[in-house]
Amino acid sequence: MIGKPASRLFLGLAVLVAALQSAALAYIVVARDRLLKTGREVVLSVTPVDPRDLFRGDYVTLGYDITRISGDALAPRGDVPEGIERGGTFYAVLSLDAASNTWSVARVSADYPRGVGADEVVIKGRARAIYTTPATRQEAGTATLLGRYGIESYFVPEGTGRALEEKVRSHSIKAVVAVGADGTAALKGLIVDGERRDLPAIF
Amino acid sequence: MWGYQRRLARDLERWSKAGWVSAETADMIRADVARTPGLSLPGVLAMLASILLGFAVMSFVAAHWEEIPRLARLGLLFALLWTGYLAAAFFEARDMRIFRDAAIVAALAVFGATIMLISQMFHIDGNPPDGILMWWIGALGAGVILRSNPALAFAMVLVCVWSGVWMSERSGTHWPFLIGWVLVTAAFAWQRWWPGAHLSALALAGFVVSLGYTLTQGHAHVVPVVAGLSCALLAAAVEKRHDMVSDSARILIIYASAAAFAGLLALQFIEHTSARELAGLAAATLLLLLALIWHGLESRNRGALWLGYVAFSIEIFALYVKTVGTLLDTSLFFLIAGLILAGLAAFAWRLHKRQLHEVTA
Repeated sequence: MIGKPASRLFLGLAVLVAALQSAALAYIVVARDRLLKTGREVVLSVTPVDPRDLFRGDYVTLGYDITRISGDALAPRGDVPEGIERGGTFYAVLSLDAASNTWSVARVSADYPRGVGADEVVIKGRARAIYTTPATRQEAGTATLLGRYGIESYFVPEGTGRALEEKVRSHSIKAVVAVGADGTAALKGLIVDGERRDLPAIF
Repeated sequence: MWGYQRRLARDLERWSKAGWVSAETADMIRADVARTPGLSLPGVLAMLASILLGFAVMSFVAAHWEEIPRLARLGLLFALLWTGYLAAAFFEARDMRIFRDAAIVAALAVFGATIMLISQMFHIDGNPPDGILMWWIGALGAGVILRSNPALAFAMVLVCVWSGVWMSERSGTHWPFLIGWVLVTAAFAWQRWWPGAHLSALALAGFVVSLGYTLTQGHAHVVPVVAGLSCALLAAAVEKRHDMVSDSARILIIYASAAAFAGLLALQFIEHTSARELAGLAAATLLLLLALIWHGLESRNRGALWLGYVAFSIEIFALYVKTVGTLLDTSLFFLIAGLILAGLAAFAWRLHKRQLHEVTA
């Protein structure tokens, strides 16, 4: 039969498992908190997403101007740089447009870019889709890279998503995003009708 | 387990009446069988309770209730996690194995819910499979450290969910599934837990079948057919030679055949096939299924036998649906198939009678 020492050993192991799992969870919380507090702040304009996809369950999907990358950002050849694959990571260099005070994609690369200016920010993304519109006789096909930066979901209390959804569609929302040194982005708050609302800090 | 106990009780009575087994020995055997752990009502209820509690916690997280501050919600889940593992230790000390395992599974559900809560708190949209990856690693770790079979089974289910979510988001094959599968299967083997072998075989068979849909733009159904058939043949070949691998081989035959059959179904009814190709494939499939049924009878592999019967019915039904419209052809097909089967039945009956004759002679 199982005696005292065996069950005491099990207690120790159970505490070990609980401690390991708690530590792993706490690590994410602390890392996120640090990112929000120390990351460089960037303001992005939010674009309306296809209404059918906009509101799913209890979160609002936020689309960004930097989600759809094409044209100048893919210069010089207007192609998606080599090494960026569907489902893989890529880095986008954001630069500030002084006139509208929002950030837009200057260039993209598969690896962490070198020679980033002081007024630029590197954000890490995942390539959701890469496609090229077919070339016509008048113009060459244009490549488009659809990125995903991990800041596209805004969770809301049950049943309060509709009002926010309307605001997104009327284009009066901007997002405040904290970007870490490695390019990881975290949603820090929203600017609704010019009024900034930060998400409450956890600690 | 129950079937075995019932059968054994019946046989013991017969044997003791015949005087082959003494009453004492029969009692000792009965006591031994009763001691081996199996399913019990309290155990099943406890397991179901822990699953319900897990869902309660997850819906609580999903409701995103703002009355409680976020840190308090997080603290509550951490407290539940610790309660689960401490309850497991409490039950272990009282030698209540099944309650212990139920508590561990509940704690693992809380672990997953906490991952969800954190991503909700920080509006992390990241890659959903990453969260599930962390979850199954947690379940595998708990299962190995605490030697809990249900936790390992939970880990295997999560590995499958992980791959499923990954594949639903992008096309392509999720090869990392194999890493998770190997790790959890190794843990099953280390625990010598037999139902785990079934779960592993089922998960792998599912993966092999999915290869047919993910490789070469979704037209690789030959892969599960070839892999399943060669696996089943190999297992059938070693089954009789080595006692040690015989049990695993018997399981393998069932799941490998199921994978091959799924591939054959896709080849016949999902791919575009000409009438002649379909006829050839259908004939091959039916013959293979007959071989499986024959093998099931021969080696007393009840699982293989049932799979053979069920797959045979599915195949016939699918053929009927596909060829319906030309009723005369359909009728002819079934007539021929019926005649062949009747002939085989007569042949098998002769064989059976001759064997019986040899044994009694």
